[in-house]
Amino acid sequence: MTYLLEARELRKQYADKLALRELNLQIAPGEIFCLLGQNGAGKSTTINLFLGFIAPTSGAAFVGGLEVAANPLEIKKHLAYIPENVMLYPHLSGLENLALFSSLAGFKYPESELLAYLTDAGLPTEAVRRRVGTYSKGMRQKVGIAIAVAKHAKVLLLDEPTSGLDPKASNEFSELLRRLSEQGTAVLMATHDIFRAKEVGTRVGIMREGELVDVRPTATLNAQELEQLYLTYMN
Amino acid sequence: MIQTIAQKEFVSTLRDRRFAVLSGLVLLLLLAATLVGRASYRTLQQERQLAQQTVNDQFRNQPARHPHRVAHYGSFAFRPKSGLSLLDSGVDSFTGSVAYLEAHQQNSINFSQAQQAGSLIRFGEMTVAFVLQLLVPLLIIFLCFGAFTEERETGTLKLLLSQGVTLRQVAWGKIVGYSRAVALVVAPALVLAAALLFTGEEFTGGPDLVARLVLFVVGYAVYFFVFVVGAVVVSAWQASSRAALITLLGFWILGCIILPKATANLGATLYPTITKAQMDAEVHEQAQHGIDGHDPHDQRAEALKAALLKKYGVDSEEKLPVSLAGVQMAAGEEYSAKVYQQHFAALNATYEQQNRLSNWAGLLNPYQAIRPLSMGLAGSDFAHYVHFQQAAEAYRYGLVQRLNGLQASMGHGDKERRLGADTWRELPVFTYQAPSLGWVLPRLLLPVAALLLWAVGLCWLGLRLISKTSVA
Repeated sequence: MTYLLEARELRKQYADKLALRELNLQIAPGEIFCLLGQNGAGKSTTINLFLGFIAPTSGAAFVGGLEVAANPLEIKKHLAYIPENVMLYPHLSGLENLALFSSLAGFKYPESELLAYLTDAGLPTEAVRRRVGTYSKGMRQKVGIAIAVAKHAKVLLLDEPTSGLDPKASNEFSELLRRLSEQGTAVLMATHDIFRAKEVGTRVGIMREGELVDVRPTATLNAQELEQLYLTYMN
Repeated sequence: MIQTIAQKEFVSTLRDRRFAVLSGLVLLLLLAATLVGRASYRTLQQERQLAQQTVNDQFRNQPARHPHRVAHYGSFAFRPKSGLSLLDSGVDSFTGSVAYLEAHQQNSINFSQAQQAGSLIRFGEMTVAFVLQLLVPLLIIFLCFGAFTEERETGTLKLLLSQGVTLRQVAWGKIVGYSRAVALVVAPALVLAAALLFTGEEFTGGPDLVARLVLFVVGYAVYFFVFVVGAVVVSAWQASSRAALITLLGFWILGCIILPKATANLGATLYPTITKAQMDAEVHEQAQHGIDGHDPHDQRAEALKAALLKKYGVDSEEKLPVSLAGVQMAAGEEYSAKVYQQHFAALNATYEQQNRLSNWAGLLNPYQAIRPLSMGLAGSDFAHYVHFQQAAEAYRYGLVQRLNGLQASMGHGDKERRLGADTWRELPVFTYQAPSLGWVLPRLLLPVAALLLWAVGLCWLGLRLISKTSVA
């Protein structure tokens, strides 16, 4: 089977800290894998390794079957990324930001389509032409989601994507992820939100001190059991 | 991709209020400096033209006189200002503008603006070149110091790179975008300067001036490009915006203040110039070895008299067809002129050595590359000053020798006679033809090469370094 995301013995060692210990992970098309863990557990390091922003100390990361280190540009065609705190260009409007990032990804959309992506992501119509400098964190996050969706990527890397979103917007985002998953998109989402992970994820992994200590299908346990499992590892 | 990022940087920069305020100030200064430069040019040029015309008229309207009296009456050579000196006054304010032309000696060029101005002129004049060389780089630093650090600090860099853009493409996009913003600030002042240059009635335009202005603009474009690339590279390499700003300001202080002073001082130490008093004493001492035309008992004058008597086959001065005094004056002038020329050449050579050291420093410091290039193209550098000095001396020597020739042709007893007033109207007056661009370009090869090396070297090395900068 071809995995859209794969880590083989992936390790990241900084001078005085082991950030990731021999990670082995495969994420298939249509799968939503949620990484749970405290700050510094290695979730963001994993995402940065898949993005090619940091080089692994050993092991390899693959996106769409391509090794990240050997194909840093090619793999970016296949993935979209939403950080925890989407920071955009404050002097440009939401519409201009989306047009810019889409254009860089190779998509030149007419304004009507750009507007549709933004409103589908939940950005109020009256805000799309306002400068992003006036946006709340949640509004920026929605533009970030629109940027990711407009890229039509096979892989989504999400680092705390619902951080700053109100409950309604979070639910809409979960719906969006499900839709993308049905279309075959593979999702790797780092999150603190156990209930969102249970609700949207197909599998959850628990990370502690750079190590993936447990992986479970979400169908096998309810939210309370997942919380209990998580707390057990954290303690 | 580069164009998309460039357009984003350009639009973002224009919408940034900090940029609007800073660039507004710089643009205002540039426009003010252009207008003030033009007014100053016009005043000085009119003064000098009027003064030259007046002294020429006075010279031509002398009454019947003995030619040697006319040689001592002398004339003046006023240095006309070059058209582009309204943009860069170079060393003009510190070198003199008027030479007194008289028999027996080559006077130094006097009456510099610095002599007549207050001590504040030592801090530099508010010329277009001052703004372009020192303040625009500061604007570039404030514009570009956060080029990469801000993107890294806010996280937009990751989002940008996740779209499949390389760091090098981001860097080039930023360089192009910032360059457009800088051009937007500088261009209006240069357009105004060009309009003033080519529409003002006092400016003699012509292809030479156009070519100089074009090269002037191209030179500054490369200079600003070096600063933009340098600032973007530093921003990519520093961990924070604060560190990038401090580093860039440190480079600015080093390059625009410390290094120029240090190389000037080093030049003066390595190649010391003699004082005017020393030079006068040395010239006086050496001139003693020549014929003193005013001393009939001078031994060398006696020898010349003997040679002349032999040449004409006569036995007394009274029988000579020429005035012995006139011939002696011509011989004395020939000798003293050589002495002066040797000393002025040695002094100029020392200044050239000092300037050369500063020009070589252009390889270490782009500010010291653009300065000589700017002054050279504006016609306000030391080489242009020396060109005028030599033209004035050539005219003085030719005039005095012509007057000595007139005296000689008067025959024996010339001292008791006068030549008619019409004689002086036939003598040529001083007119100065400034050197062409073809003359100045070979002298500017080093600064041009230094500036191009900076631009190519920074692009090559800097952008290679940027590829290796950290993202996360």
